[in-house]
Amino acid sequence: MSAADNTRNGQAALEVRDLRKSFGEHEVLKGISLTARDRDVVAILGSSGSGKSTFLRCINLLEMPSGGEVRVKGELIEMTTRRGRPAPASMKQVDRIRAKLAMVFQQFNLWQHMTVLENVTAGQIHVLGRSKAEAVEKAEAMLAKVGVAEKRGHYPSQLSGGQQQRVAIARALAMDPEVMLFDEPTSALDPELVNEVLRVMRGLAEEGRTMLVVTHEIGFAREAANRVMFLHQGLVEDEGEPRALLANPNSERFRQFLSGSLK
Amino acid sequence: MDSVIEYLPLLLQGLRTTLLLAVSTAVLGLALGMLLALAKLSRHGWLRAPVFAITNFLRGIPEFLVLLVIYFGGTQLLGALLPGAGLEMGPFAAGLTALTLVFGAYASETFRAAFLSVPKGQIEAGRAYGFNAWQCFRHIQLPQIWRVAIPGLGNLWQGSVKDTALVSIVGLDDLMRKSSQAAQSTREPFTFYLVASLMFLVITVVSMWIIAALERRASRGMTEMR
Repeated sequence: MSAADNTRNGQAALEVRDLRKSFGEHEVLKGISLTARDRDVVAILGSSGSGKSTFLRCINLLEMPSGGEVRVKGELIEMTTRRGRPAPASMKQVDRIRAKLAMVFQQFNLWQHMTVLENVTAGQIHVLGRSKAEAVEKAEAMLAKVGVAEKRGHYPSQLSGGQQQRVAIARALAMDPEVMLFDEPTSALDPELVNEVLRVMRGLAEEGRTMLVVTHEIGFAREAANRVMFLHQGLVEDEGEPRALLANPNSERFRQFLSGSLK
Repeated sequence: MDSVIEYLPLLLQGLRTTLLLAVSTAVLGLALGMLLALAKLSRHGWLRAPVFAITNFLRGIPEFLVLLVIYFGGTQLLGALLPGAGLEMGPFAAGLTALTLVFGAYASETFRAAFLSVPKGQIEAGRAYGFNAWQCFRHIQLPQIWRVAIPGLGNLWQGSVKDTALVSIVGLDDLMRKSSQAAQSTREPFTFYLVASLMFLVITVVSMWIIAALERRASRGMTEMR
């Protein structure tokens, strides 16, 4: 990932400005900004209902933001208004940008009717337009990297949760994304399976992948992230360098959150 | 037994017509059912409401009545639309239209339920990776609906094969009509209706095998749930 060094001072990998989201009357995100440069690993913490998952899902427009801007590698996602509601100006642009923002879901969301290998090649073939041979080669390398190469012919339902999540990470990596979005990747796993997934994610952080990680794993935030964001009621309540901030939060609420989660 | 051999070519001719009608109905009915299902799942109320109304209507009246309305009403309608063209609704066209409408109406419900059974996360993962709406439909939703839809569609097919017998009443030379002709000429109704029953039974039993095989195929990846 040394190529990433060259752009270190150039465009931010991801720039989010004043992102807002309301569900009806209820305002879930009240204006959140975030700049992630290449190789940044941002851990996003917050209690349930703080808006942290919604924030992540607004970045790739799985939820339509009510306001604000998202830029990926300097490219603004163009928004417009359709029948009084915010909507993307061009679905083509959105699809293109989504392919640069690979997402890893809490429930894995591997495609059930495809084998492991097919799960990792489908996006490459249908979205990036790679040849099948090229996609298979890439998929095999990524599956080996996350340690599930021998499961290539299996269906997701034949794998453990930890294996499924590692396949999902391989699916994301195969897209050569600019930024990886992790939406509580270990929350649906049995406790004994959490570590195999965290180990893979630590490896990705070390090799310089740009990652946004919504998580409850304080240990991961402390050791693998270079920035921590604490959301509370749709706003950034606290933010900073992980070790310093987690040892000594600025915000009282963050302190309470941490003492609760350390129990 | 001699009379059966004598009339066998006639019966096989009827069988051919029956199969042709059943297969055409299934092919057109599946296509119609899929379109109606997509309309029912549309975001637009002006599209959903009439489609629900029409399919509920078709499912709510006897197939036989649909057939009679199409057969007798169809000729009138063609005459009114294209006066002087001398177009008539033949028994095959009437049977095909009526059975296709009924098949499509039922299939639309089967497809709709199958689409709704695909977990939202499956489609979301597609969207998140840059699949457009068509690619999501083609590569993620469509392959996953068959597992749920095939048993229901199989039942529809079996019903539709048997409903072809109704079309003999408006004069289609199908297996039903041919066997009843043979029964009348030979005065051996028991023999010929039994032979016709056996022929229908062969079609439906073979269909069941094929449907079971298709079901296994569509369930790949689903059969070994932990």
